[in-house]
Amino acid sequence: MSLLEIKNVSKIYGPLKALDGVDLTVENGEWLAIMGPSGSGKSTMMNIIGCMDKPSLGEVILDGADIAKESNKKLTEIRRDKIGLIFQQFHLINYLTALENVMVSQYYHSMPDEKEAMEALSRVGLADRAKHLPSQLSGGEQQRVCIARALINHPEIVLADEPTGNLDEANENIVIDIFKQLHRQGTTLIVVTHDPEVAEVAQRTVVLEHGRLVKEIINENFEE
Amino acid sequence: MLVALLAIAVGATILSGLVTIYYDVPRQMGEQFRNYGANMIFTPSGSDKLSTDAINMAESLIDSKELVGSAPYRYENITVYERPLMAAATDFEGAEKTCPYWRIDGEWPSKNGEALVGKETAETLDLRAGDTVTLVYDLEGQTAAAKPKENTERNQNSLEFRVTGVLDTGGNEEKYIFISIADMESLTGKSDIFDMTELSVSASQEQLSDYAEKISAEVDGLSARLVKRVTQSENTVLSKLQALVLLVTVIVLLLTMICVATTMMAVVTERRREVGLRKALGASNKSIIFEFMGEGLLLGAIGGLLGSFFGFVFAQAVSVNVFNSSIQFHWVLIPITILVSVLVTGISCVLPVRSATDVDPALVLKGE
Amino acid sequence: MFFRMIKGALFRQKSKMILIAVTIALGASLATAMLNIMLDVGDKVNQELKAYGANITVVPKENSVLSELYSLDEKEETAAAHLKEDDLGKIKTIFWGFNIIDFTPFVNTYAKLPNGESVKLTGTWFNHHLALNTGEELDAGIHSLRSWWDVKNGRWIDEQGDSADDNSAMIGVALAEKLGVSTGDKLEVKTSKGSKALNITGVYDAGGDEDEQIFTTLKTAQELSDTTGLIDSIEVSALTTPDNELARKAATKGPGSLSPADYETWYCTAYVSSICYQIQEAIPDSVASPVRQVAESEGTILDKTQLLMILITILSLFGSALGISNLVTASVMERSNEIGLLKAIGARDYRISGIVLTEIIITAVVGGVAGYFMGYGFAQIIGQTVFGSAIEMKPMVIPVVAVLIIIVTLVGSIPAIRMLLRLRPAEVLHGR
Repeated sequence: MSLLEIKNVSKIYGPLKALDGVDLTVENGEWLAIMGPSGSGKSTMMNIIGCMDKPSLGEVILDGADIAKESNKKLTEIRRDKIGLIFQQFHLINYLTALENVMVSQYYHSMPDEKEAMEALSRVGLADRAKHLPSQLSGGEQQRVCIARALINHPEIVLADEPTGNLDEANENIVIDIFKQLHRQGTTLIVVTHDPEVAEVAQRTVVLEHGRLVKEIINENFEE
Repeated sequence: MLVALLAIAVGATILSGLVTIYYDVPRQMGEQFRNYGANMIFTPSGSDKLSTDAINMAESLIDSKELVGSAPYRYENITVYERPLMAAATDFEGAEKTCPYWRIDGEWPSKNGEALVGKETAETLDLRAGDTVTLVYDLEGQTAAAKPKENTERNQNSLEFRVTGVLDTGGNEEKYIFISIADMESLTGKSDIFDMTELSVSASQEQLSDYAEKISAEVDGLSARLVKRVTQSENTVLSKLQALVLLVTVIVLLLTMICVATTMMAVVTERRREVGLRKALGASNKSIIFEFMGEGLLLGAIGGLLGSFFGFVFAQAVSVNVFNSSIQFHWVLIPITILVSVLVTGISCVLPVRSATDVDPALVLKGE
Repeated sequence: MFFRMIKGALFRQKSKMILIAVTIALGASLATAMLNIMLDVGDKVNQELKAYGANITVVPKENSVLSELYSLDEKEETAAAHLKEDDLGKIKTIFWGFNIIDFTPFVNTYAKLPNGESVKLTGTWFNHHLALNTGEELDAGIHSLRSWWDVKNGRWIDEQGDSADDNSAMIGVALAEKLGVSTGDKLEVKTSKGSKALNITGVYDAGGDEDEQIFTTLKTAQELSDTTGLIDSIEVSALTTPDNELARKAATKGPGSLSPADYETWYCTAYVSSICYQIQEAIPDSVASPVRQVAESEGTILDKTQLLMILITILSLFGSALGISNLVTASVMERSNEIGLLKAIGARDYRISGIVLTEIIITAVVGGVAGYFMGYGFAQIIGQTVFGSAIEMKPMVIPVVAVLIIIVTLVGSIPAIRMLLRLRPAEVLHGR
């Protein structure tokens, strides 16, 4: 069974169809990039996959359960247990240290464990910045804290929304390297981006335009 | 923005409400102090009694708005069942105003032929409201006690009165029988003579002294005096009350203005991002401060206007509830309230906007 | 973790939290000061109103009915009833003894002056020192009961000092002018019982009938009227509660008409009528009655002042409540991002509210405690400046202010938090 199956999903905001009959299947361990210009429905797609929004029509089956039919409370639970979110704007809590920002995620999931959170930070190369506040970190470092936070609860899907949008070349490469590492460890990765360079490194890329999937590219040069 | 407007409006309401009350309290409280009764009396300066003309002339020298009430008194010795008693003639309408503390078991007399009996006398004579009593006046000016009983051929006048109420004052009045002036005149056959006049005047002690001096100097045969017990004590207590309201007003205003300022600061600080954006778009610090100030001043003006209205509504409610009278509207308070609101908002805008303009726009926009 | 988050929120964004705490402290201090003043203003104004003098007079029972009825010109001696001087101390032993601020006995007699004129001569206490068997000590007398007397020349008789000389006397300004006497002079007075040469220590202006009288010590007057150990009347100045329906009923129909429960309430409240009743119980064969001019007006002024203060207090409470909740709302609304994020990473609504509310309440408690003490200061400033005495801090104000602050902060924050929680995390996080 596939990890995620999206069947004929539409999302309608008044007169606007943000998604229009999208079908997509994501297998366990796959690295998928979703591309498209602004206004193509990328964010809506991400919100629906991330259980932060429900489709107007269609089914979204994550790990055997239909998200469209779940209550908001249940969605919160699914989000907590199965999904790790990475944001373009990082969204770190500015009065908590890097370490504490990671621990917040543990806290709402189960029990905060400082040692484990510290390990997650060292995996993204930030062990020595653990006690710093977000305002004392560079953009790349903040994004890595965000990644550590997304990974801490071992989610089934890591969902990244323009993860490199606010980063320079060097930091972009660091982030891509982390993604590669994650992929090797068997994590399912969905990256929403409009940057072809980020999309290129994925196993498969789908292109959204005006709410429809218009193209699918399989990366033949993909390095396992 | 609504938050800021609300804060300013509340501050302005408190400002205009309290200041209105502060201005009105001496007047309103002064009226309450009239409950202590007469604070000025007219007595004959020579050996003659007072005449109605002299009393009217003296009263005309007092501002009619300040004159709460006046009651002339005339005392005569009379007898009831051969007991010597004192009858007092007065204008009951005036007495009701000058002696609001009189407690009457029954009703005030409303027409001729009715009398009010002091509590002590009522107990002695066993009189109650509704009973009748006959007052006897000896035209030769001799009292029953002095006159031997055997003399039956006395030149007497007698009148029957219905007792409408028993008077309880805790003072000398409890010994008297009060009747109307017209009744006294028909009982004694002598008119237009009074022993004294009690007046209740709503004015400060200094003003009362001025009145008293002027009246004593200008009206022949009449001297005006202050009832020191009332005027002096009123002066003491009223000045304390006024000081109390003043201090309370000052402290409340101070705290409220700081409260408004902190709220404004919070509202403006929230908009640091906007400041950063404008800077990034090339706005100079000066123009940003200018724009924010403009906005703040407009808010201050609207809030101040709303506040002066609601403040008046509040002051009016207080006045009606506490003093049962309406309050004067001070037009000058509107510009003052608006000015203060504008100043407070202006000052509390300047600080956070200035500190925001000092920050590097890139930092602000990055979300910190 | 919960506490780490709270700690982070409170200590790593100090300036914001201090701003909130300061606002709450200001509001709390305003509430504290106003409530305390409001609760104490009655007592304070009551004290000030004592300037009007006695509000209760006590006379012997028979006298109150028969007095002077047969001597209307008041210049003849009467064999009237008397109260006993020894009973005076009992006034302070009644249930409301603590509320009796001052009292003074009077002995009235008429004396012939050398020029043949008859004047009213009153013996009384001026500043008599009383040591009661309850251990309490006080100075009683007309010095404070006649606060409006203006001593034109000379001085008040000081019973505890050098003028304890029995023949000291004070003379009314009108009489002094008529007789051409002044301070330092001797005045020969004669009654049917004896004669004395009085030493004039002061001339007073009372602005009333008393200007035609002579006031001397109790002992002198008793000797002149041959009434040693006896007194004619007592004036009492007591702190009273304004009359209500119950008090009026007791006053008009007598305390016997009240139900036992009402009677107890009436007896244990400092109404002028219940104090009178208790004085009658304490002093044999006496009738105590309120001086309506003072007692009634006192009630009106007290009621009005209190009502005025209550309304001003309500206004300032309302103002500070709005100020606080306004700022709290603003500060919560500012945190939409953070709340959206916590939702996105899977926090339940109640846990998010828990964190935010705990932070706000901690801030409120800190601000509230600081505010209480600030308010204490403001109340004392007002008390000292206006009344020259401290405002009594009522313990009941503490819970009232605490509840008020908590409610106000919750009212300010809960709707904002709920509104933010209703937003989908997606809307907040992609909001730009």
